[in-house]
Amino acid sequence: MASSEVKKKRKAVTRDVDSGPAIVSGDEPGFAQLDGTLAGSDDSEIGDNDDSIFDVGSTDESSEPVEDLSDDGGRDSVGSSDDGLSKGSIDQKAKIAQPVDIEVETTALSGEDPDDEEEDDRPNFRVQKDANGNDRYIYDEIDPDDNSELDELGPEENTIGNIPLSYYDHFPHIGYNINGKKIMRPAKGAALDALLDSMEIPKGWTGLTDPSTGKPLELNEEELNLLKKVQMNEIPEDGYDPYEPTVEYFTSKTEIMPLSAAPEPKRRFIPSKHEAKRVMKIVRAIREGRILPYKSPEEGGEDDADVQNYDIWANEKARPEHIMHVPAPKLPPPGFDESYHPPPEYLPDKGEKKAWEDADIEDREKEYLPTDHASLRKVPGYDNFVKEKFERCLDLYLAPRVRRSKLNIDPESLLPKLPSPEELRPFPTTCGIIYRGHKGRVRSLSVDPSGLWLASGGDDGTVRVWQLDTGRQIWSVSLSSDEAVNVVRWRPGKDAFILAVAVGDHVYLCVPPICDPDLEGASLEVLDAGWGYSSSTSTTKLPLTWTRPSNKLSDNGVHALISLGHTAKTVSFHRRGDYFVTVCPAPSTPSSSAIAIHTLSKHLTQYPFRRRLKGGGPPQTAHFHPSKPILFVANQRSIRAYDLSRQSLLKILQPGARWISSFDIHPTSSAISGSDNLIAGSYDRRLLWHDLDLSPRPYKTLRYHQKAIRAVKFHPSGQYPLFADASDDGTVQVFHGEVVADMMSNARIVPLKVLKGHKVVGDLGVLDIDWHPVEPWIVSAGGDGTCRLWR
Amino acid sequence: MGKIKKRGTSGQAKNYITRTQAVRKLQISLPDFRRLCIFKGIYPREPRNNKKASKTSSQATTFYYTKDIQYLLHEPLLAKFREQKALSKKIARSLGRNEVNDAVRLEKYGTPKITLDHIIRERYPTFVDAVRDLDDALSLLFLFANLPSTSTVPSQVIARCQRLCHEFEHYLITSNSLRKSFLSIKGIYYQATIQGQDVMWLVPYRFVQKATQDVDYRIMGTFVDFYSTLLGFVNFRLYTSIGLVYPPKFNAERDERGAELGAFTLEGRAVGDGLENGDSLKTIANGHAQTTNPVEVQRQLEQVVQLEDSEQDQENDNQAGKEENDDALDKFETAGPEADTLAQPDLDSNQTASLFASFTFYISREAPRHPIEFLLRAFGCRRIGWDPVLGEGAYTNDEVDGRITHQVVDRPSLPESSSLGESGEQGQNVDSNSRTLRPGMRVPGRTYIQPQWVWDCINAGRLLRPDLYAPGATLPPHLSPWVQAAPGQYDPRASLAEQELDGEAQQAREESRNDGQEDDASSSDVESSEDGSVDGRMDIAGSDNGEDEVDEVPEEEDFAGFEDEEAGGVGSGNEHEDERSQHQKELEAEAAGLPFSSTPDSGKPATGRIGTEAKKRALKKQKEEEELERRKMMMSRKKRKLFEKMQYSNSKRDAEAEKLRSKRRKLERAS
Repeated sequence: MASSEVKKKRKAVTRDVDSGPAIVSGDEPGFAQLDGTLAGSDDSEIGDNDDSIFDVGSTDESSEPVEDLSDDGGRDSVGSSDDGLSKGSIDQKAKIAQPVDIEVETTALSGEDPDDEEEDDRPNFRVQKDANGNDRYIYDEIDPDDNSELDELGPEENTIGNIPLSYYDHFPHIGYNINGKKIMRPAKGAALDALLDSMEIPKGWTGLTDPSTGKPLELNEEELNLLKKVQMNEIPEDGYDPYEPTVEYFTSKTEIMPLSAAPEPKRRFIPSKHEAKRVMKIVRAIREGRILPYKSPEEGGEDDADVQNYDIWANEKARPEHIMHVPAPKLPPPGFDESYHPPPEYLPDKGEKKAWEDADIEDREKEYLPTDHASLRKVPGYDNFVKEKFERCLDLYLAPRVRRSKLNIDPESLLPKLPSPEELRPFPTTCGIIYRGHKGRVRSLSVDPSGLWLASGGDDGTVRVWQLDTGRQIWSVSLSSDEAVNVVRWRPGKDAFILAVAVGDHVYLCVPPICDPDLEGASLEVLDAGWGYSSSTSTTKLPLTWTRPSNKLSDNGVHALISLGHTAKTVSFHRRGDYFVTVCPAPSTPSSSAIAIHTLSKHLTQYPFRRRLKGGGPPQTAHFHPSKPILFVANQRSIRAYDLSRQSLLKILQPGARWISSFDIHPTSSAISGSDNLIAGSYDRRLLWHDLDLSPRPYKTLRYHQKAIRAVKFHPSGQYPLFADASDDGTVQVFHGEVVADMMSNARIVPLKVLKGHKVVGDLGVLDIDWHPVEPWIVSAGGDGTCRLWR
Repeated sequence: MGKIKKRGTSGQAKNYITRTQAVRKLQISLPDFRRLCIFKGIYPREPRNNKKASKTSSQATTFYYTKDIQYLLHEPLLAKFREQKALSKKIARSLGRNEVNDAVRLEKYGTPKITLDHIIRERYPTFVDAVRDLDDALSLLFLFANLPSTSTVPSQVIARCQRLCHEFEHYLITSNSLRKSFLSIKGIYYQATIQGQDVMWLVPYRFVQKATQDVDYRIMGTFVDFYSTLLGFVNFRLYTSIGLVYPPKFNAERDERGAELGAFTLEGRAVGDGLENGDSLKTIANGHAQTTNPVEVQRQLEQVVQLEDSEQDQENDNQAGKEENDDALDKFETAGPEADTLAQPDLDSNQTASLFASFTFYISREAPRHPIEFLLRAFGCRRIGWDPVLGEGAYTNDEVDGRITHQVVDRPSLPESSSLGESGEQGQNVDSNSRTLRPGMRVPGRTYIQPQWVWDCINAGRLLRPDLYAPGATLPPHLSPWVQAAPGQYDPRASLAEQELDGEAQQAREESRNDGQEDDASSSDVESSEDGSVDGRMDIAGSDNGEDEVDEVPEEEDFAGFEDEEAGGVGSGNEHEDERSQHQKELEAEAAGLPFSSTPDSGKPATGRIGTEAKKRALKKQKEEEELERRKMMMSRKKRKLFEKMQYSNSKRDAEAEKLRSKRRKLERAS
């Protein structure tokens, strides 16, 4: 009956909710007790059971609003629920009456305050009994809270310290910050609630913006439901039933009877033959030692392997190295400077040391700096030892090996063995005589065939004849006041004494009255023989005629005059002296009259070339071959040889020079070696030796001058194998140029002497040279107005 | 018409193969290729024409001979490398499956063993070939023997190198084939003659080696693998060639106690008579001197007596040998300087064996024990004692032992007075086995020398005066024994006067004198030049008379024309000419590096003489130069270039020698 009473009581409570909130507040023990009572009364009234369950559920449901109510009522009920009063007593009190219940509440209320005070006044120690039975005070550990004053306060933090905030209830602020500014009271909940209430939030409002549309994002009903389900930890899918009935794959029922009535086969009860066979195979293998049990290899075997214990070269057989194999070069042995205590002269001085230290590691010639250590104990370790050995290793397998043939020969042996200058003597070495007298440059000079006289002509328009070995001026004639004497040439041959002079547009033929009268007479005869001839066979087509010069000149020894009309720059006699060729190189000269051949005996002038020479510009100079009827004509870049008897072109030489200034033909080479040799000088500083049979290109190209070469000349007699060239740098260079009779060997050219003496005046040094006909002497005409004899 | 040849099918294009192509052809990784190349001694080549050899771009690449690579294709090592690669894959797989035990087992037992024996035989078909290539091997192995063990250089490798090196040194000691040694700033160079081949190697000083970042120990390790195999076989051959058993017995305990060379016991191979006389069982070290066993001490004493007897015998022999010493090689001296000198054998093993044979050495504790011990033993010394701190195996550790004849000391000078006689017993330790003197004490009757004495004696091939090498003395310079005097090179052994070019010393003297006088000279120059312009003609005429020999000189030519000028009556150019010639002279003198003074009559006849001599020299030099120019003019351009190149290296050598000479001159003048 007690249980039914309880039940009744519960029912009563549910009915009038207002009356007993404290009782219904529903503590677990009470509920369990309730269940127990329910279980106990299970047998008697089942029908009531459901009802009671429902009732309990209803109480559970209603407990929430009950609590809400109690909250609204005040803090009292909360305090009551925390009370240490047993449920049993409550139940008993609840059985008595309502007023009692209230009484309990009041006691609970009254009990609250002393409790709080007790907490404040409670001593911060506990008292225990120690072993002797005396009191022992155990203090609680002091928990230094985070808001201790020692802590740094933020700028907006309250600085009022550990006092109740209720002191500030009457003020609009709640304290002061660290700067002494008032911290205002934040808005109260009520005000916020009022504000929020005033705003109406639409359903599905999120406060977000849909990035795709730019409109505010609002959730629809479905999505809200989904969210709700997610929030409730439910399966969000619609129509999902978590409590579906199971469908079995196999039946869970076991049948009593077997499906087949066949008896067990025999093989299930006898050992397998096949297995026995296989086992026997293994057994046999084990017996025979084919299968060995696993044994881990021993550790000790390694050391023995390292020691070589047989002679690998027991039956050695030498094998020649492969031809392409390059053995690694051995490192060179250390030198004196690598010693730990080297001789003092090997030690670097300050400058060298600094240079070594400043240099990049790759740039250093030696990888170490010679250092002196007074004794062995002071020698430090060498830092780069490992690195050097490593680099050696790298060299051994990475560096390409190339066999370089090192020329271990004396450099002297490379030098050609030249005959010493002593053997090649005589040749001119020193300046013997200086012929002074010309004003301005001396343009040309010539030594007469007898070797006694020297004729010279210069810018002052005079022709002077000097005694060669004394330097005395014997004869002089002024042929022009404004034009320079370009060329003076003696007629070869000792039977006459005739000097050809080219001044401006004219060529004069003179017989200087200085030789003995017989010779002078013979010379005049040679010159005068042509007058009759020209008058007797006068033809109209003769382009120009020879005339007698004025009396004043003829008194001075000038006996014939040819007016070429153009400036002749070179005059060259044929070896017999009957012909001479003049060349007018000026570009304005018509090509037909640039080269003229004059016959002395007939006073005849011919122009052999009607058309201009092809290629290489205007003609520069021309010479007759010393023994054959060949005329060599040089224009700027080539030299041509014409056969005069057949009137045909023999050969074209291409010296490779830009502008040939002069050339000369070896006097005797055609007789000695059968081929002609020729030297040419050019304004582009080259001296070129040609062997005409060898090649149209030069056999030797010599470039020893700093300035243009003006004149080149072989020694006219075959006696001395000498030739010389004169240059604008003021030097005359003398060479030994021997043409040998042996057909197989080429000419031997040896530089002999540089004759320095002429001063360079206005970029002109030596303008002309001429050899003495018999002696190894040379005469040079300088731009400084002097002539010099070198011997 | 013949078949058109395709490009890149013959010639250089086919003979050379780039490294990438080679690696691809061999189907191995680049590090494996590197190892293979190191083992097989295959090195890149420089094609004669880079462009023809490379089929594609003209980028700089390394080329190998195609034949070389083809030859590598058949190498058995390649199979090993592939096995190793397969194994590493297996290990990686089992590690990936977390089967650590499997991985360990595979790594431990599955690693294919690489043997290099066949490669040694292949690369060095004869023993002499191997000896010829021993330089680098020894240098590297000695370095590794002195390295600390790290993860990259395992201790087994170091131990193996040490063992091989010590074995090799033992051979050198027994066969007396060490010839020369040199203390350099890098380390100690040794040279031995084995089977007629000179082998030179470098051993570092015993310091911790500084290793820089850019040293790859894997490459060096590959070399060490190869070289240690090589040296093992060489050692075997060397030991068996002198009748010893290889490997010698190695006593690990004694090695632990620092015996080094003494840890090995050499055994003779002939069993029958070997054990009888006890000589065949040859313990190099005399460690038994330390044992306290009285029987052994007695035996040792007897031995010493015997040794002394034998020494006397030897001395007698030597004296006798001096009279009828026909076996020894005679020294050939060339009579003339133009003759070629032939290389002569400098030392034979008999000489080396007897250099220090009669001495007992004691090595003080500050001297480097190992190299000194090795050298002394290799040159015949049998009794070497040292301080007990230097390790085991000494003949005696007793510094005051009376048998010691020489003591190697590397300390500042010892005071003469503090000899043992005065200080008596207080300088000694109590322990009679290893008595040590107080520092600064001397035992009378003993030669004290610095370590360099040992080296210099060995290089000189005879005993040198020990007083020059006394402790604290300034040592004579230590010279490399391998530098031969070559013409044009500076030789510190010869005196300065022998090497100077003619006139060099005088010139230097003048220079040094002129350093002081320079100011005076320059001021007097101005005056004298003015004088010269007034009556310079006479002056120069006078100077011409003074030096008749110089008259041929071309620069003097101008003056030959005096008479002619007078004859011509033109004197205007005369003065000008004189000035010019004077200027010319000054220039000449300047070119010759001489102080120019145009007035030879400036009051000092001595300087005048010197001046003329200098002038003569300068003129001679100029003449020579002119001659050289003349000859060079006739050379072809190619030859001239070659000549100038040769001249360049020669002149560099000459400049170096000249610099050294001038330094020495200065030093000699200062002293």
